[in-house]
Amino acid sequence: MPKAGSLWAYAATRLFLSLPMLLILLTIVFTVLRIVPGDPIAALFAGRAPPDVVAATRHRLGLDLPIWQQYVNYVVQVFTGSLGTSIGASYHGKSVLFIIMDKLPATIELTVGAMLVASIVGLSTGVISGTRRDKPSDIALRLYGTIIFVVPIFWLGQILQLIFAVDLRLFPAQLRFSGGPPPLMITGLYTLDSLLEGNLGSFLVSIWHLVLPSLTLGLVLSGFFTKTVRANLLRTVKADYVEAARARGIPENKIVSRYAFKNALIPVITVLGLQFAILFAGAVLTERTFTWDGMGTLLLTAINEADYPMVEGVIVVYALIIVLVSLVIDVINGLIDPRVRY
Amino acid sequence: MGQDIQQQRIITKILGKPVRYVRSLFRPLVRERRTLPGILSWIGLVMLLGFIFIGIFAPVLVPIQQTNALAYPILLPPNAQHWMGTDGIGRDVFARVIWGARTSLTIMAIGALLALIVGFPIGLFSGYVGGWVDRALVLVMDSVYAFPGLLLAALIAAVIGKGIFNIGIAITVIYIPLYFRVTRSQTLSTREELYVEAARALGARSWTIMLRYIAFNVVIVIPVIFSLSAADTILTAAGLSYLGLGLEIDVPGDWGRDLSDAQKYLGSGIWWTSLFPGLMIILLTIGLSFLGEGLSDIINPLLRKERS
Repeated sequence: MPKAGSLWAYAATRLFLSLPMLLILLTIVFTVLRIVPGDPIAALFAGRAPPDVVAATRHRLGLDLPIWQQYVNYVVQVFTGSLGTSIGASYHGKSVLFIIMDKLPATIELTVGAMLVASIVGLSTGVISGTRRDKPSDIALRLYGTIIFVVPIFWLGQILQLIFAVDLRLFPAQLRFSGGPPPLMITGLYTLDSLLEGNLGSFLVSIWHLVLPSLTLGLVLSGFFTKTVRANLLRTVKADYVEAARARGIPENKIVSRYAFKNALIPVITVLGLQFAILFAGAVLTERTFTWDGMGTLLLTAINEADYPMVEGVIVVYALIIVLVSLVIDVINGLIDPRVRY
Repeated sequence: MGQDIQQQRIITKILGKPVRYVRSLFRPLVRERRTLPGILSWIGLVMLLGFIFIGIFAPVLVPIQQTNALAYPILLPPNAQHWMGTDGIGRDVFARVIWGARTSLTIMAIGALLALIVGFPIGLFSGYVGGWVDRALVLVMDSVYAFPGLLLAALIAAVIGKGIFNIGIAITVIYIPLYFRVTRSQTLSTREELYVEAARALGARSWTIMLRYIAFNVVIVIPVIFSLSAADTILTAAGLSYLGLGLEIDVPGDWGRDLSDAQKYLGSGIWWTSLFPGLMIILLTIGLSFLGEGLSDIINPLLRKERS
């Protein structure tokens, strides 16, 4: 067992161990796109191009090389950060990496907003539910947690649009910005950029546009928090140290907030890693519902335009993000709970 | 007379295992019918059976012609003749919604069956063999599990093309890791049981132990994984259709595509083309997740001990 202060060693080990995961994901993407029976280029063109165009495209992308050579090229490409150039109509000839970096901030803004909504709604409902076990409010919130989790995100988005955008006209239903040019591109995050510009008006506009999409995606994710926080709180309120605190006469609400809740959060963070998969998948759907110009929209455009390098690039970037997120989650876990360090 | 008994015996022998299996599944369901997990399971089961009924008898319930484009005037609000109105190209929304159950259940069945066929044996093998094979398989499956399922399915769907069977395949890939995981962990604990030890001591071959002694005891978790993943299957399939990667346009019912079509009329306040297909998805997924959560509480004794 390493001694105290070995968080860095733990983080380094985790980083090293996440390489195989990345390689496996890359291999799966490679397998799907290049080895699965059927011709991806022909499938992506879906009969819209004559055979010689398909053949020429294959040759240009190096898809007529032997499989092992393609695989080596592909892995080298990913690790040197060159994802090729687009062959689709919308971004023809542009660097795939550049376009992805252009669209990524929109998705980050949406997912961060959604996580915020999910944590606020989920943690509060989870605590209410966990501290009022088997009372009507607990049963209602548990039902909420189960049901909201299986609501189709895009449908919830449409209903929220109907209510808050079409009927009440409170929030916009489309796009990331309106009423003028968007803030200057610094980070690409409209909220942050408008603040850096010192333009409060455009900050509010970008927040205003962010409300419905974040709410849609966040609410669906909150069900998971409700359930997990409740389950863990039920476990921790029975723990010895909580009993000890109670014996010392510490008020019940303080026991919940200081003792039980904090310890109930640790397992929540552990399983949070898996939620990110749902978050990113949900973001693709939410982006389509709210015509949000992010990675999901880019992927769909790329698929529709038979933009093979772009499809591969987007999926590879998703894989990188997923590996990175699970690494960060693991390190945070090690930070909170020294027992999980190696 | 004697021949009859002989026949009876043969029939019992063939049917014995499945019948016993189904019975062993239903006994706890009946026993637990008054507890919360039991009630949830029964509600979920009834809802699922309702959907299966609708799915099978869709052609009897609603003539397929009503799902054709331009069968009726477009965008009629719900009325006595069209309970859920008509959509942007003149199809009866109610008819589409009913036929959609058939489509969704078919995709779900294909996806679940394929995931079972692939995930169950691999999980069994991995758990039984152990060692580096096991570790490598776990790493691969965990990596797939961590990747956004919808994206992987979208990628596969884009490569292999549209269609009910293809979407079933695309979805399968997401659920193989789930079947693998649960089967594997169940195998790990079953492997250490005394009767397996005894079989090994008596000189039974690995295959025999795996298939006869372990597999039949692991199979009990299948309904739980199925119902837990099935709700997700429905959502993913609908999501793929919504993204335009799902089914061909001539499929008589497709909730995801209906919602995708409904999108452009939202701005004019047309709610019925969006509300009803979504409600159907929710009802089906709620049914499945009630069944799944109830069953897993009942069947998984560890969870139950924690509860009491």
